[in-house]
Amino acid sequence: MAALEVRGLRKQFGGVVALNGIDLDIGTDQVVGIVGPNGSGKTTLFNVVTGVHPATGGTVSWQGQDITNLGPHRIARKRLVRTFQQAMSFPGLTVDENVRIAWEQGRMGGSRWASPGMILNFVGLAPLGRAIAGSLPFGSLRRLGLAVALGVSPELLLLDEPGAGLNDSEAQAFAAVIAQLPPQGIGVCLIDHDMDMMSDLCDRLIVLDFGTKIAEGLPAEVLADPKVREVYLGPDKKAAAS
Amino acid sequence: MPMTDNSAGKTGAATEGVRARDRLALLTADNAAVPLPAGVQAITAILLAVLLIALPWLGLGYRFLSIAITTLYTAIGLYGLGLQFGQAGIMSVGHAALMGVGAYASAILSVQLGLGFWTSLPFAMALSAIVGGVIGLPTLRVGGQHYIIITFCFCALFVIVLTNGGTFTGSATGLDVGSVTPLPGINFDKLSNNYYLVLAALFLALAATYLIGNSRYGRTLRAIRENEQLARSVGINVDLHKLGVLMVSGLFAGLAGVLQLYYLRHISPTLFGAFPSLYLALMVMLGGARYLYGPLIGAVVVNFLPEVLNLDPVDSRIAYGVCLLLVILLLPGGVGAGIKNVYCAVRGGFEKQGGGTNGRA
Repeated sequence: MAALEVRGLRKQFGGVVALNGIDLDIGTDQVVGIVGPNGSGKTTLFNVVTGVHPATGGTVSWQGQDITNLGPHRIARKRLVRTFQQAMSFPGLTVDENVRIAWEQGRMGGSRWASPGMILNFVGLAPLGRAIAGSLPFGSLRRLGLAVALGVSPELLLLDEPGAGLNDSEAQAFAAVIAQLPPQGIGVCLIDHDMDMMSDLCDRLIVLDFGTKIAEGLPAEVLADPKVREVYLGPDKKAAAS
Repeated sequence: MPMTDNSAGKTGAATEGVRARDRLALLTADNAAVPLPAGVQAITAILLAVLLIALPWLGLGYRFLSIAITTLYTAIGLYGLGLQFGQAGIMSVGHAALMGVGAYASAILSVQLGLGFWTSLPFAMALSAIVGGVIGLPTLRVGGQHYIIITFCFCALFVIVLTNGGTFTGSATGLDVGSVTPLPGINFDKLSNNYYLVLAALFLALAATYLIGNSRYGRTLRAIRENEQLARSVGINVDLHKLGVLMVSGLFAGLAGVLQLYYLRHISPTLFGAFPSLYLALMVMLGGARYLYGPLIGAVVVNFLPEVLNLDPVDSRIAYGVCLLLVILLLPGGVGAGIKNVYCAVRGGFEKQGGGTNGRA
């Protein structure tokens, strides 16, 4: 049984169906990638799973417990933690305090980190501990976003485009940090558009289109799937000509 | 090449300009997030405590001591406001009404049931806290300016209710109480003893503010102030903590209100209306809500300014307005921020703060 089980998840915003019956199984020992064109429902999926938006239908269960429509803070306390598409921090506070806030929240029931400093070391922000978060360069701010999420001591991290806005070398360094998480028992579910990085990093890829899962499997298989190629590259020229 | 020389000269001048501006920016910045060294904090605390304790012995006269008492009980209320605004980011312009809840609760308990200062104090504080929480319920739905308007409405309503409360609230004339029940050997009819009573309460408020500011609870509040969505996503129950801090703020307001009641011995609705509420908001912004001594500084400035400059009430209102504008434009962190920045500058913090990445303050 996978740690996170999503069954028939639906989300409607008025007449717009953002998620149309999604089924997912995500364990805590893998990196699972979610890809899809803009507007395919990737971020909405995260928002509904983490309780930011209520689900219209379907269920989300985490470690055998039903967590559908639980408040975001209660889901985070169950160590299912997400990050945001925009680089988020507590901008007026120091980097140390940013991470300490999350660490103190995750400390109940035991944290995997003995101190907030360990998390800063892990993501490579230790030298910037006394800097004000709002003054950080963008690459460091992305790392801080990850550090804050890790601070809660998660068992599964939902990362919403962690590499967005990073240059190639920064994105590679970031991917290297993410790759270290599953061996430590922190599962990762990741949204990104960088297909090269995703196929290197992910054990499994899930493709969404118009709120429906259209493919799932090993990255190489999924990327070779004609349905996926059609979504990403438009209809096949030969098919269109015939 | 002449071209290169020319541009190099320009760059040099520009760098100088930027440096000067950086220095000004450092002097006016709000650097509440960067802690001062423990030694500096301890010395400041001791000096302040000695000054405040020695005040009645300095022979400054009856009038000065009266204003000092007013300043201190106002400051106690301001520490509650400082907590909800400075730490949790929830501003109120109806805070005097919350002090009024405490003052009137205590006065009514005295008139109706004959309860004295000490016995009515816990009830008054509890009631202020509850009322603070109830007015806070709308913060769960609206924030910022909308909530400020709600607090202002509460303040206006409160005065109307008091004025029309008949003999129960004393209507427009208000209520009278006796003096503080004496403790063994201490008679609070003596002004200096009343001063020490208020001062003891101020020390409690300061200690509570310091402890909260440096605790996990304080960090939780700051997280909510800085980014509610992120705070939720790390497991903080934002709604609960918003109501919680408003209730804690209400406790401070209740304490301040009862001290005000027993210092004045007579209260009337106008003491807790729109103007006093706006003054409280002015003081907390002027002093710097995020700084430990900010609310106290704000109370001192606003209460002593007309005295020092010899202003009549109308002129002093104009002076307050000018002060507030100056602080908002030049020193967004309040006078507290200015003092801390000047200290950092004197200690040569400029170079160390350069780039804003390694701010030792």
